Amino acid sequence: MLSRHFGDAGARTFDGWVQRGGYAALRKALAMKPEAIIEEVKASGLRGRGGAGFPTGLKWSFMPRGDGKPHYLVCNADESEPGTFKDREIMRWTPHQLLEGCAIAAYAIGAERCYIYIRGEFTEPLRVMQAAVAEAYAQGALGASALGSGTRIDVVLHRGAGAYICGEETAMMNSIEGRRGNPRIKPPFPAQAGLFAMPTTINNVETLASVPHILNRGADWYKGLSLSNPKSTGTKLISVCGHVQRPGNYEVTMGTPMKELLFDMCGGMKPGRTLKAVIPGGSSVPIMTAAEADDCLLDYEGVVARGSMLGSAGMIVMDDSTDLVYQIWRLARFYAHESCAQCTQCREGTAWTTKILERILAGRGKASDIDLLLSLSESMTGKTICVLSDSCAAPIVSGIQKFRSEFDAYLSGARQPALAMA
Amino acid sequence: MSGTPHGHTDTPHAPVFTGNIRTRLDALFPSYPTRQACLLPALWMVQEERGWISEPAMAEVAEVLGLTPAYVKGVVTFYTMYHTHPVGRHFIQVCTTSPCNLCGAEAVLKALLRGTGCGELGATSADGRFTVTEVECLGACGFATPIMINDDFIEGVTPERVPGILQGYK
Amino acid sequence: MTDRVSVTIDGAQVSVPKGTSIIEAAKQAGVLIPHYCYHPSLHSPAVCRMCLVEVEKAPKLMPACVTTVTEGQVVHVNSAPARQAREGVLEFLLANHPLDCPICDQAGECELQDYTFQEGRAAGRHDDYPKRYNPVEEFGPDVLYVPNRCILCTRCVRFMEDVAEDGVLNVSERGDRATIGIFPERELDHPWAGNVVDLCPVGSLISKDFLHKARAWDLDRTASVCPGCTQGCNITVDTRDNTVVRLRPRANLDVNRHFMCDEGRMDYRWMNRGDRIEAPLVLEGGRHHAVDWDTALERFGQATRGGSGAAVVLASGRASLESLGWIRRLLARYRVTAAVQVPMGNEAPLAGVPGLALRAERAPNAHGARVLGYDAPWASAVAAAGKAALVVLVDVTLTAAEAAGLAGAGSVVVLGTVEAEAWARAGLVLPVSTMAEEHGTWMNRDGRIQRFQQARAAPGMARPAWWVAVGALEVAGDMADRPATAAEAFAGLGAHWPVLAGLTYEDLGLSGRLATPPMAEAAR
Repeated sequence: MLSRHFGDAGARTFDGWVQRGGYAALRKALAMKPEAIIEEVKASGLRGRGGAGFPTGLKWSFMPRGDGKPHYLVCNADESEPGTFKDREIMRWTPHQLLEGCAIAAYAIGAERCYIYIRGEFTEPLRVMQAAVAEAYAQGALGASALGSGTRIDVVLHRGAGAYICGEETAMMNSIEGRRGNPRIKPPFPAQAGLFAMPTTINNVETLASVPHILNRGADWYKGLSLSNPKSTGTKLISVCGHVQRPGNYEVTMGTPMKELLFDMCGGMKPGRTLKAVIPGGSSVPIMTAAEADDCLLDYEGVVARGSMLGSAGMIVMDDSTDLVYQIWRLARFYAHESCAQCTQCREGTAWTTKILERILAGRGKASDIDLLLSLSESMTGKTICVLSDSCAAPIVSGIQKFRSEFDAYLSGARQPALAMA
Repeated sequence: MSGTPHGHTDTPHAPVFTGNIRTRLDALFPSYPTRQACLLPALWMVQEERGWISEPAMAEVAEVLGLTPAYVKGVVTFYTMYHTHPVGRHFIQVCTTSPCNLCGAEAVLKALLRGTGCGELGATSADGRFTVTEVECLGACGFATPIMINDDFIEGVTPERVPGILQGYK
Repeated sequence: MTDRVSVTIDGAQVSVPKGTSIIEAAKQAGVLIPHYCYHPSLHSPAVCRMCLVEVEKAPKLMPACVTTVTEGQVVHVNSAPARQAREGVLEFLLANHPLDCPICDQAGECELQDYTFQEGRAAGRHDDYPKRYNPVEEFGPDVLYVPNRCILCTRCVRFMEDVAEDGVLNVSERGDRATIGIFPERELDHPWAGNVVDLCPVGSLISKDFLHKARAWDLDRTASVCPGCTQGCNITVDTRDNTVVRLRPRANLDVNRHFMCDEGRMDYRWMNRGDRIEAPLVLEGGRHHAVDWDTALERFGQATRGGSGAAVVLASGRASLESLGWIRRLLARYRVTAAVQVPMGNEAPLAGVPGLALRAERAPNAHGARVLGYDAPWASAVAAAGKAALVVLVDVTLTAAEAAGLAGAGSVVVLGTVEAEAWARAGLVLPVSTMAEEHGTWMNRDGRIQRFQQARAAPGMARPAWWVAVGALEVAGDMADRPATAAEAFAGLGAHWPVLAGLTYEDLGLSGRLATPPMAEAAR
C-alpha cells in the first residue's frame, strides 16, 4: 500500500501519481467536513508511525475549532532514529503520496499551512519534494484554492541541520521557529499552543502517507488489516537493517510474526550465523533476545508483550558475531552526541555512561561498573523533559539484564579489549 | 586566574545577503510569521555561498533577521551540519552508528581517512580537497554504509569502493 | 468558585491563588524545594530537574517550578523517590564539577555545596575519569566565566535576554560540550549585567571586583538600601572586619525585584575611606581644635538657640530623613532656605522590569529631602548662603567657587565626613556617620520610605547627624522627649511632617512602605 510504488520512477511526478490513483482522496476529503475526516481516521485505528503510536484521529481531535487562530500541521520528516529509513523512501519515491496526506490532514485540522521538516542530510528527498511541491502548486492541488475547493493549503519545506533531537515534536517546533532544537515542557501541548504558540499537530511521514489510503478505501478496510490485536491496525513499514541477507523496507500487516519478517522476507541470517539480538523499534527501545523475537508479533501490543516496543519499527538485527557491549557503547555515544544539554541527567548521564562502557571495552572496567550503569540509568529514566535520556538507558539496562555474560567477559578479562584508551 | 580575551577577525566580511541571495531570503519571509524562523534557511544560504559560517557572517545574519549575534551563534553551534570553520572542498560524512557499525562502517571510515590523506577525523587534507568526519545515523541503515560527500548521498559504500568514489571528487 | 486552591505539601496544608506553582506554594507551606534554574524573576525552563517532586496520582515526578497547583493535590517533597531524584541530579552535576571549593568565591554561599551537604551522596562515583576542562573567560568589565563550574542552569542567558533585553549570552554547543558563550567583540557591559553573578547558583560567573576578597562565612550581612540613586533598590551590605567588601541586591518585589545596577553595586569604596574626621572641631585662633561632644554640642546649641534671621542648609542627597528632619527642627526659629545636593547622571532602565531603572537623580533621598522642605534650587540656596546668618552644611561637597561664596555668611557649621576646603571658615566641624554607619530612612522616588541599617562602626567620635541636631536642641532647652535611638528619631518626625505621622520602624520593616497619601514624584 505505502510501498507499492517504491522503485517506480513514474510515481514521482504529479501526473504519474494521478495515473496511479493519486489526489482522488484529497478531492474526496475536501468535499467532506473536517470533523468527518477526523472520525474516519479515528475509526481506522491509525496510530502515529514515528514511534509514539498515539492514535492519530484522537490527536487531530485535540485541535480547537472555531478559535480564530492560525493552525499548523507539521510533518515530521526528520527520520534520525538509528535503524529507521522508511520515511526517506516514501519521500524519494512517492512524494505526492506524502503531499496528499499532508493536505488532507491540514484540511481536517483547520490548518492552512503545513511545514514539512526534512532532516538536513536528506538531500535527495529534499530535491524530490521540492519538485513535487512545485508541481502540486502548478497543478492547483496546493495553494489558495486546493483542487478548486476554495480552501487554502500551503506547504513549506523546512530543512534541518543535523540534530536527532529535532525529531522530538516540541524540539521540531523550536527548530522551525529558528531556535536551538530544545524540547519544550508540556503543558502547554502542541494542540493548545505549539508552533509560533498556535494550535499545532505534528505527524510522522508514514502516518500522513497512510491517510489517503484510509480515505480511498475506508476506515473499515484499514481496520481490517490487523492480524493480532485490534488496537493495532493497518500496515507498517519496517526498516530492517544489520545482519540479515536482505536488509530494506518491508511493509507488513500489523500483527505479522517477527520471525516471518526476518527469516522469510529478509532471507534470515548470513550463512553460518544465528540470531543473537534484535532492537525492534529504532534504537531507543529495550534489546530483545532471539528467544523473545521468536514468537513476537509485530504490532504495538505484541512487542510490548515481549518486553520491548514497536516504536518507529527500525529493526536492527544482530547475529552471534556481534559484540553487544560494543554496540551498546556505540549507541550510548550516539545519545551523548545528540543530547540537547537542557536536562542535567541527560547531559551528564549520556556522556558518563558512554565513558563507563568505553572503559569496560578497554579492559579497565570495574566490577562495580555494572551496578553503576544500572543506577545511573535509573536516574536517567522518567525524570527529563523528553525521553532521549530514557532512550540511552534502555539499551544499557536491557543489555545488562539479558546479556550480562558479555559484560562479565570484558570485566573478567576473558575477552580482549575492543578499544584502546588514552 | 587569568581570562581569555576574545579575538577579532582580520579580513573585512563581505556581506552575503546582497543581490540574488538577498532576493531569495526575502522570498522566504512570507512563508513564516517571524523573521527568526528564517534563521536555519538563512544559515544554509551562507554556507552554500561561503562554504562555512564565520562569526562576521553570523553577525550579518543577526542584523538581517533582527536577532543578536550571540543568539545566532548559539543556534549555529547547536546544529552539527553548519561548519564554523573552513573545511575541505569535499566534505565527507560517514555514518558509524550501530546499524552501520554492524555492517562494517568503521572499516569504511578508515579507508576514507587513508584514501583522502586526511589521516585524522575532522582534519582537512593537505591539498584542501577533503575533510572526513564521523557522523550519527544518516537514515539509510538498510543500505550500509552510507556516506555523504557535500550534498551527494552515496549508499552501500565498502572499503573496496572508496578509491573509485574519491576519484570522482577533484 | 473561589480563586484559591488548597494543596498539601509534605503534610502542611496551604491555600494559594489559582495558577501558583508548586514551588511557590511550598514556600508558603514552609518547605523549600531545592532548585537551580528556577528564579521568581525569570521564566522557568525546568531544565535543572532539581525540583522534581512526587505528586500523588501523577505517573511521574513533576517539576515543581512549572507545575501549577490543583485542588486537593498532595505533594511530597521529601519522600524517597523525590530525594533519590535530587541525589541523582546532584551526582550528575558533580561528575564534571571541579573540586574548586578551596579557591572558589562561591564557597559558603553556594547552592551546589548546600544541597550536596543536605542530600547528596557521601562519595562521588565519577572516579578516575578526567573531568571536562575549558579555560576561564572574561565576559566583561567585571564578570568572569568559569565554564568548568557551570551547571548550565541558563539563568544568566535568560536574564540578559528577557530582563536586560540585551541578548549577549547564549548556550553554545550541545550535550555535555555545552557552555555559556558570549559573542566575540561583545562584552557583558550592560548597566545591569552584574546581576548574573548573583543569579549564578555556583561560582561559575564571578565578580572580578570581589575576587578572592573574602570568604562568605567571614562576612557580616546587613540589610540596607542602595545610596546610588533615587530608585532605592534594596541591598545587603557585606562587611568583613568593619570593611565594606560587597553590595548585593536584596529582594523587594515592589522596588527592584532581585536586581541592582552595576553603578550602585560597585560604588561602595567611599564607605571605607580612612580620611575621615574623627573628632568635633572648633575654630579658634584661625585653627581647628578637637573638642569633646559636650563642648561641641554646647557651642552648636548656643549658636542656634538665640538664632534669628536667615539660615541656609545645604544637605547631601544621602542624608537620612531623621537627620534632615531634626536639623530643620533645630533651625525652627530661622527663616530657612534648604536645598539638597543631587548629582545627576544618565538613566539606565532595566527593560524587563517596568519601573526599575538607574535614575538620573543620583541621590537616594532626593525626594524625601524635598518632602521635608529641602526644596530650594541648589544654586539659589548657595547664593543665599553667602548672606545668611547661619549656614549648615550636611555632608555636602562644594566646588571651590561655592565654598568661596560662604565667606559672607554669619557662621558656618559643618556636619561632615571627609575634610574639605569649604570648612576652612567653619566655626564648628562635627563628624557624622555615613549611611553605612547608622540606622536611618530615605524616601525614594515612588514615595516609599525604606530603612537602611548600620553595617559598620562609625570611625572615631562620628555620630549620626540627627543625634547632633538633637543634642544641640537639648542644649537649647527645646527638647521635651529626647530621641535616643534612630527609631525614636524617626517616630518623632511625624509630629511635624504629616506624611510620616504615626509611622514607626516596625511599620516599615525591611521592605519599606509607601507614604500615605502616596507621594510619588512626577517623572523627574
